[in-house]
Amino acid sequence: MSITRRTLAAALALPLVAAATPAVSQGYPTKPVTIVVPFAAGGPTDVIARLIGDHMTRTLGQQFVVENVGGAGGSTGMTRVATAAPDGYTLGVGNMGTQSAAPFLYQNLKYDPAKGFEQITILNYTPQTIVSRKDIPAKDLKELLVHLKANEAKISYGHAGVGSISHVSGTLFNAQMQLKPALVAYRGTNPALQDLVAGKIDYMVDQSLNVIPQIKSGTIKAYAVAAPARLKSLPDVPTTKEAGIDFIFSAWNAMVAPKGTPADITKKLLEAVAKALDDPAIVAKYEELGSTAPIGDDRGPAGLQKLVDSEMARLAPALKAAAAAEPPKQ
Amino acid sequence: MTETEQPDAAAPKTHFGREFGAGLFLLAIAAFAVWGAWPLAFGQLSGIGSGLMPKSTAVITAGFGALLIAQSLISGSAPLEPWSVRGVVLVLGAIALFAATIRPLGLAFAGPSAILVASLADPSTRAREIIPFALILTALSIALFKFALRLPIPLAPPLLGY
Amino acid sequence: MDILDKLSLGFATCLQIVWVTDPLLGITWPIPTTLLLCFMGCLVGTLIGVLPGVGPIATIAMLLPITYGLPPVGALIMLAGIYYGAQYGGSTTAILVNIPGEATSVVTTLDGHQMARQGRAGAALAIAAIASFIAGTIATLVIAAVGQPLTRVALLFGPADYFSLMVLGLMLAVVLAQGSVPKAIAMIVVGIMLSTVGTDLETGEERLTFGWTEISDGIDFAVIAMGLFGFAEILRNLENPEARDVVRGKIGRLMPTGAEMRQSAAPIARGTLLGSILGILPGNGAVLAPFASYTIEKKLADDPSRFGKGAIEGVAGPEAANNAGAQTAFIPLLVLGIPPNAVMALMLGAMTIKNIVPGPEVITKQPALFWGMVVSMWLGNLMLLIINLPLIGLWVRLLKVPYRLLFPAIVLFCSIGIYSIGNNPLDIYLAAAFGLIGYALIKLGFEPAPLLLGFVLGRLMEERMRQALARVRGDYWTFVQEPLSLAFLIIALVLVIIAVLPAMRRSREKAFVE
Repeated sequence: MSITRRTLAAALALPLVAAATPAVSQGYPTKPVTIVVPFAAGGPTDVIARLIGDHMTRTLGQQFVVENVGGAGGSTGMTRVATAAPDGYTLGVGNMGTQSAAPFLYQNLKYDPAKGFEQITILNYTPQTIVSRKDIPAKDLKELLVHLKANEAKISYGHAGVGSISHVSGTLFNAQMQLKPALVAYRGTNPALQDLVAGKIDYMVDQSLNVIPQIKSGTIKAYAVAAPARLKSLPDVPTTKEAGIDFIFSAWNAMVAPKGTPADITKKLLEAVAKALDDPAIVAKYEELGSTAPIGDDRGPAGLQKLVDSEMARLAPALKAAAAAEPPKQ
Repeated sequence: MTETEQPDAAAPKTHFGREFGAGLFLLAIAAFAVWGAWPLAFGQLSGIGSGLMPKSTAVITAGFGALLIAQSLISGSAPLEPWSVRGVVLVLGAIALFAATIRPLGLAFAGPSAILVASLADPSTRAREIIPFALILTALSIALFKFALRLPIPLAPPLLGY
Repeated sequence: MDILDKLSLGFATCLQIVWVTDPLLGITWPIPTTLLLCFMGCLVGTLIGVLPGVGPIATIAMLLPITYGLPPVGALIMLAGIYYGAQYGGSTTAILVNIPGEATSVVTTLDGHQMARQGRAGAALAIAAIASFIAGTIATLVIAAVGQPLTRVALLFGPADYFSLMVLGLMLAVVLAQGSVPKAIAMIVVGIMLSTVGTDLETGEERLTFGWTEISDGIDFAVIAMGLFGFAEILRNLENPEARDVVRGKIGRLMPTGAEMRQSAAPIARGTLLGSILGILPGNGAVLAPFASYTIEKKLADDPSRFGKGAIEGVAGPEAANNAGAQTAFIPLLVLGIPPNAVMALMLGAMTIKNIVPGPEVITKQPALFWGMVVSMWLGNLMLLIINLPLIGLWVRLLKVPYRLLFPAIVLFCSIGIYSIGNNPLDIYLAAAFGLIGYALIKLGFEPAPLLLGFVLGRLMEERMRQALARVRGDYWTFVQEPLSLAFLIIALVLVIIAVLPAMRRSREKAFVE
């Protein structure tokens, strides 16, 4: 009955929760470490950061505390990480938006995703899923595209605001499929999803983590997963390749540290993260969330740097074209 | 900031009284907003631009401001009350001091200094009371926010490093 | 399963006894762990929520990590307890020190704080607790009985309908005004203007941020509320030492009189109805409920001039609406899996970490969890009543602390509270600036409440307007073509006429007399 004893202890000790655990390690870390998450608590990046941070607290013996510093699509938080002291006690978890798309979306970005951080490692990938409101008469992706093209003057695409993953992936998807929907901007994924379920907008391309519950309960339709392989949590949804188009898009989260953080510290952090990623409990959790962990060479600083560079190269033309194409509003 | 209007007891209404000040205030806000929103596109009816809301609300505010000024000039209004400069400077100053010192010096310093500066705004403050009060309250806050709730508030960076 | 079965399943989940053997004496004790967690959540939530500037969102975000080691049902019930506790704590601060912890507590400050100034703080706090409890009980029954079908209603709403609802809300704000109507409208408009600060969702441009990236997500409600209400109030009190000390001398009764209870009965009923309906609307329709309740009570009262000066209906109705809305806001989250506001989004995050995926599946596949949560809502309300009624004596005694010590304490707690929002000193500077503005507003005869309402509704209204228009590529007729939207706009028009007609009649009478 250890679970209930823990429950009881937690409940009774609530107001008296003391500070760090007693373990004293030689060298790093000797005091609590802050993990800056540049988004609100409870969101996809926050969930992953807390999962991994919690594991690292147990393996490294010091508290890894998540601090949510939201704002400006994540740039406020990442700027804080970029300018923090490189002593290993401030880390950051950014996502594809902050580490690859940001330079093309924001004029005065105060950090450099490619060269301004010590890359530690990719934490997870979440492929995008193409979904639509449930009343569209299409059985698969090809029929959906036909329907969208046929009704071009009336279709609408919902996204979570300029700079969000659903906005960036949507821009790329619509450009590649040559669709010109009305773009409807929402404050975050939830209101957009709400309108999709209600049938007020037609389709979205968003992180699987966000849409899996709705797909499973049948309130929206899924057509394809933009990943190389099917997701274990959505076994009936084909990949984009199986469905006939070539569109791979994964949102991802990665851990970084301020530039100049010593190599032995980053090495220790990487080892701890790798342990977390290999833990069966976390593997199972990832699966449920529709996420995959990086493996082999993708782990570590080189893998992350490669991803950042390639994503920036891929996103640049599409985002710049989209910005130029917006009709000038006078 | 200081505006003292000596109310004439015999003639309670004045042309440049409260309503006039209110109108000016609204005009000032409107002007500030228009200045800030100047580069934003207004948009057409079929495609509302990002500037529509800020600019229209600014214009409407200015309209009310003008209305109040006109009313004041025509029918007069209650005179302006005097402002308490001491309160404004010390209380708001204390808050600004807290903001300035919380990250570099931590709660251990920012807390007592904010309390002490703010307390000066009240003439009946006594040093014997307020100094221990400041220290105890800061200690309680640290215990509550830092240890019980584990908020990432800097405690005393110069001394402890966090 | 009929409703009695569902509720008994829920009670069984909440009152689950776990046998724990303690190591010291070797005795096995039966511990109702879930109930204990609910209690702890309510208690902690109330105490934290009382801190000025710390509203429900901040409280839950702060306490989220504590729930990681707990079992799923217990964790969620504890978080829910924290939520209601924080809501009630926010109302406590609104009444005692005129600082609204959340958008929904703004209305409570209008009459609640006036009651406190008259020495009736105990009655105000008590009626708020009682109204919240009654509303919570009824709302729980509503959820149990018709929760699922109600979500279908919520799904009928589109952006155009929400827009018109917000317009209706703004009309309510005009009717809410105590003093000069043009000044109140001006305040609403300024509030809307402040709500545009931030990054534009459609174009990504910065609006009115003057280059400060810290506010590129907009100004936080708590920053404005604390500045405009909290700090400005301190400045005003410092000017009038005699007035505030006399008030603080009186304690008065700790409970409302029989007459006051009777006066509050109907407002509580009406408030509960409003809150239950509006809370279901995803997209934060619940924020309208207390304002609507206040306006309706003011209009229905025999002597509307009492409002704004300590009318108990002005606390009872909105508090009931508030709590009913907070409860029914769980429906879209639990039934659809889509959180209707920021607090529920946090709850969703907590659920995700606990492997619970809310949605239609949860009700069928994990009925114990769903109905356990529903019942825990009622239990949470009961606990809040039990916790808070005795605490009223404590809070009221707090008012007796000499103001020269009280106000620096408020300054400290507010500043810490604001810092805890985004760990950003700029927020504190902004709150100070709003304190100055709030003081100016008082001096110039404006009311801050309509500004706050304009701020909250303005952002929602603009977003919905642009979403509605974007969907149909700029076709303005959509606002009258969507039936719900048309209905709300007509009601808004009627409200305006009702508000304006008496004034017109009076001026015509005046002209006639002259």
